[in-house]
Amino acid sequence: MFCEKAIELIRELHRVSDGQLPAFNEDGLRQVLQEMEALYEQNQADVSEAKAAGRGDLIPSIKLRHCCLLRNQRCVVAYLYDRLLRIRALRWEYGSVLPANVRFHMSAEEVQWFGQYKKSLASFMRSIGGQEGLDVTQDMKPPKSLYIQVRCLKDHGEFEIDDGTVILLKKNSQHFLPRWKCEQLIRQGVLEHVMS
Amino acid sequence: MFIADIKKDFYEVVANQRVALLVAADIDGLCACKILQALFHCDQIQYTLVPVTGWQDLSTAFLEHKEQFRYFVLINCGANVDLLEMLQPDSDSIFFICDTHRPVDVVNVYNDTQIKLLIKEDDDLGVPTYDDIFRDEDEEEEGEGSGNESDEGSEPSGKRRRFDEGAIERRIERQRAKRQWEARRREILFDYEQYEYHGTSAAMMFFELAWVLTKDTKDMLWWSIIGLTDQWVHDKIPHMKYVSDIATVQRHVSRHNHRNEDEENSLSIDCMRISFEYDLRLALYHHWSLYESICNSYYTACSFKLWTLKGQKKLQEFLADMGLPLRQVKQKFKSMDVTIKENLRDVIEESSNKYGMKDIRIQTFGVHFGFKNSFLASDMVHAAAALLESTERDENDPTDNFIKALDSLSRSNLDRLLSGIDLAKKKLIAIQQTVASCICTNIILSQGPFLYCYLMEGTPDVKLFSKPLALTLLCKYLLKAFVQSTRNKRCKLLPLIMAAPKDMEKGTVIVVGIPPESETSDKKNFFGRAFEKAAESTSSRTLHDHFDTSIIELKSEDRSKFLDALITLLS
Repeated sequence: MFCEKAIELIRELHRVSDGQLPAFNEDGLRQVLQEMEALYEQNQADVSEAKAAGRGDLIPSIKLRHCCLLRNQRCVVAYLYDRLLRIRALRWEYGSVLPANVRFHMSAEEVQWFGQYKKSLASFMRSIGGQEGLDVTQDMKPPKSLYIQVRCLKDHGEFEIDDGTVILLKKNSQHFLPRWKCEQLIRQGVLEHVMS
Repeated sequence: MFIADIKKDFYEVVANQRVALLVAADIDGLCACKILQALFHCDQIQYTLVPVTGWQDLSTAFLEHKEQFRYFVLINCGANVDLLEMLQPDSDSIFFICDTHRPVDVVNVYNDTQIKLLIKEDDDLGVPTYDDIFRDEDEEEEGEGSGNESDEGSEPSGKRRRFDEGAIERRIERQRAKRQWEARRREILFDYEQYEYHGTSAAMMFFELAWVLTKDTKDMLWWSIIGLTDQWVHDKIPHMKYVSDIATVQRHVSRHNHRNEDEENSLSIDCMRISFEYDLRLALYHHWSLYESICNSYYTACSFKLWTLKGQKKLQEFLADMGLPLRQVKQKFKSMDVTIKENLRDVIEESSNKYGMKDIRIQTFGVHFGFKNSFLASDMVHAAAALLESTERDENDPTDNFIKALDSLSRSNLDRLLSGIDLAKKKLIAIQQTVASCICTNIILSQGPFLYCYLMEGTPDVKLFSKPLALTLLCKYLLKAFVQSTRNKRCKLLPLIMAAPKDMEKGTVIVVGIPPESETSDKKNFFGRAFEKAAESTSSRTLHDHFDTSIIELKSEDRSKFLDALITLLS
């Protein structure tokens, strides 16, 4: 049936849990585009025939194919756009350097788009907040305190904080550290914020 | 050295520094740690918390963190050994020790620079005076030097000989005095270090710090109550001390409850209220059925002798005497008939007096927050102890359990606390069953100076008893049950040593010794030193890793010779 492949693409994105980026389904996309091309060719042929030979009975099939084309287009655009949204969220979550496994899942154009997004976000951040700019990707929720209590979930070795002191992150040890230093590690899952 | 002003000499010293907290794995330590953490949060003092389960753990943790931290706070560990010798720290590391283990090692008391003890100096310590133990070596050598000098300065041989004799005599005299002094010193130290016991709860110590800083909250007060109750539940302090500490805490409680008395509804029902309760000594009875609680609390189970048929009948009589229908009593306490619950405590007290249980009621505290949640301090102690030593999962990382138990003490982690209560119920049932089977199969043997019991590998729930706190509790209940059930007058005054398999692969057993059961016992335990000496004399492979010296790990093969050595030592 027509448009099956396009729905496959959408389902793939839907299946993956929120926020994660699956591998770029180049194959699937190509198949959809091929289907669209085939439909378009058939439609062209039929339209010229309908015009020339006045075959009115071809009109419904032309309409059907046109609807399929529109549907395919919509699905493909939705697929690409959703991926871009996820990539954008990655910038806010991981920072400007993406982990290698995530980058592996992006297509070349997506990587380029990411680079440009990074640049425009950086220039925006530089423009606000006076001289040195303001990093808006920190403190996504208003912080309640300067320091937070964190618990180490796995052995991470040594970790250096701003004033040069080094902390040994051993499993199940708890620490009371400045908030901004911990956020990265909390996102990576090494530390866990403990609220008592 | 002892700290005189805890605010000035401890808190203000660490105020702008980063601190490492090394906390031992017992409930009192956990509560003290919670209070200190809350204080540190208030004042933005950065810290790192590391749980430690024994001396080896302590050394490892110290080695890992000594580069990064200058100030170490040790909670419930470190006072009873020579810490500087064990850890070999740099000269700028400072240790603040708040430990309930006594006797405090004399080196720790008299070291002025690196060791600061957060212990009240009058806490019935009985530390020997400085001159009795330490002696300056200078005087002696001076005497020798002057003797030699006068030797050189003398002229003819006659005079020299006289000087020589004088010098020799003086030297002999000095040596004799020195030997006498050393003998006396050994005796004093032996007396001082012979018995091991516990002092004031660490949690109460830190609560006092919070109070002095006027940063105390009801949460901290509740934690200090739990710390004190832990000492009572695990039999670490004598009854008189418990009662006097309760009186101290009661003053704080009434101070905090002052607001309640103003108007009818001044505080919302969700706020935490701590109330003094003169409640029954039945473990976890609010969260269980009354019947189960009576069967599984050691006080009632031992008084009724519930491992015998006669005992069971007596229990039924007791319930009938109070007029409590069996259906009600076996139902969950919360769903029990309200009319029965109203006067329950008085009714039970009256009836238990008839059956010989004079102190069925004990002074304690309870907390209420929200409509559903009310807990007694002893409930929380049982729950936290069960979580701390849970053998549910196979990984059994002790630090995992430490974190779980620490979490359960916060009010926001109710589900953790409730799971702890479930585990505690299972533990109490297991203890009761083990006690019953031990008494019925008579595996408690009198070895002369003490009673001895060994739990075989196949005993159900024996995994539960490979942990020190659970095994100590089992020991205590078993001794009480044994004292009730035996007819031998002499055996009633003996202490008990219990051994249980600890680690199958390594083939070790855990051995615990508790002092004899008596009404006015001062809970002083001499097994620490006895175990050490016995291990030395038979060169058994033992591990004295636990902070309580009366709990050791021993290779199973060396069990019998170790016991023989103990018997000879103690007779």
